[in-house]
Amino acid sequence: MTNMEREDGTTRDDLVQRVALMEAMIAEGRRNTGRFGWIFILWGLVCLIGIGESYLLPQSYWVWPITIVSGFVIQFIGIAMHRRSGNWPSENLKSRSVAAVWRMMGIAIILYAAPAGVTHTIHQIAYIAAIFMFLGMAHAISAVILRWRAQGVVAGLWWAGGVATYFVPRNYVITIYVVEMVICMVLFGVYAMWLERRRAVALELHHA
Amino acid sequence: MANFEADDGTTRDDLVQRVALMEAMIAEGRQYTGRNSWIFVLWGLVDLAAWAWQSYFWRFGGRWAWPICLTAGVVLTLAGKLMQRRRQGYSSNDLCSRVMAVWGMMGLAMGIYVASAMWTHFDWQFSYIVGLLMMFGMAHAISSMFLRWRMQGLVAAVYWAGGVAIFVCNSGRATNVIMLFEMCIVMILFGLYAMWREPNGSGCKGGRA
Repeated sequence: MTNMEREDGTTRDDLVQRVALMEAMIAEGRRNTGRFGWIFILWGLVCLIGIGESYLLPQSYWVWPITIVSGFVIQFIGIAMHRRSGNWPSENLKSRSVAAVWRMMGIAIILYAAPAGVTHTIHQIAYIAAIFMFLGMAHAISAVILRWRAQGVVAGLWWAGGVATYFVPRNYVITIYVVEMVICMVLFGVYAMWLERRRAVALELHHA
Repeated sequence: MANFEADDGTTRDDLVQRVALMEAMIAEGRQYTGRNSWIFVLWGLVDLAAWAWQSYFWRFGGRWAWPICLTAGVVLTLAGKLMQRRRQGYSSNDLCSRVMAVWGMMGLAMGIYVASAMWTHFDWQFSYIVGLLMMFGMAHAISSMFLRWRMQGLVAAVYWAGGVAIFVCNSGRATNVIMLFEMCIVMILFGLYAMWREPNGSGCKGGRA
């Protein structure tokens, strides 16, 4: 039989406990992503609305700034309501790490998009590709931390979209943008929330 | 005096142990970054070589400077990592794994982004260069949050500031200067600093989650 007692005195039970702790942290991290899945949906819709408005009001300079600021206002209100409801998720190391990934991605995108908008550089192909790459990178890091294949697929889709924007004719870039927002933002948000909801229902049934 | 006995029975000793474990993980994470910071120095030199080749030796296949130097950089990085792994045979703790995830995914994203832009000749656009700097800044910022490392946070801010400055200056000359400063000098200096700061760490050997 294998001797599970290591030189440093770590027993099999210790190892089992650590694995259980790791699994619990990963599960908690995924649940937190599900609890905040509405933010993916919100920003997917904000970007789709922005595109729609740009079509309807092609001359207006204020379409994107107003839409993006509205997105932030709604997000802050949503988070404040979430906090007040007492339903704020517990935090462990992995959840905090994932939160750090998304916060830093948010700051990077703001610092990228705001000066690009002011200096009228957003028409460049590389601008859209870079945004897709940022989003893919955040999803990929989160997917590795949470060992979550579905999120890894979403990261792959963002990166594929980023590559595609370079290769397709310019007219199709907007189509890629809309497809990415619908699938990787809205649908992923719905999927994450559905997973969390299913888990909550299962937990209720278990306690009943 | 504060009552350290929480409702769930967690004692002061438990908390002290947890804090010590966290601090040990953070220290290991920084040491891991220090042990791998030769990669920053390598890439700073790779970028510097490509820039010098393209700027001063254009006649000698200057248009292939970036593809050749970047490919050489990837090969050297992989070879170096392989040698490092063989020599040290380390296993990673949870925090090191997360830092690895950040840099691994940044490398992947960067590779895809740069290769596509070069292939389609969009690598002259300002937003392409700014995208690179923002990605570097993002990776440094995330890693600095994981490792509670102010210096790395500062490096992230320098990358982001460089990106914003390129958009604001909106000129080819300024872009070249900022790019050279960020991709060569900041990269090399941070690599040297991390190597000096965390020289003899245990890395991630036998780390705990």
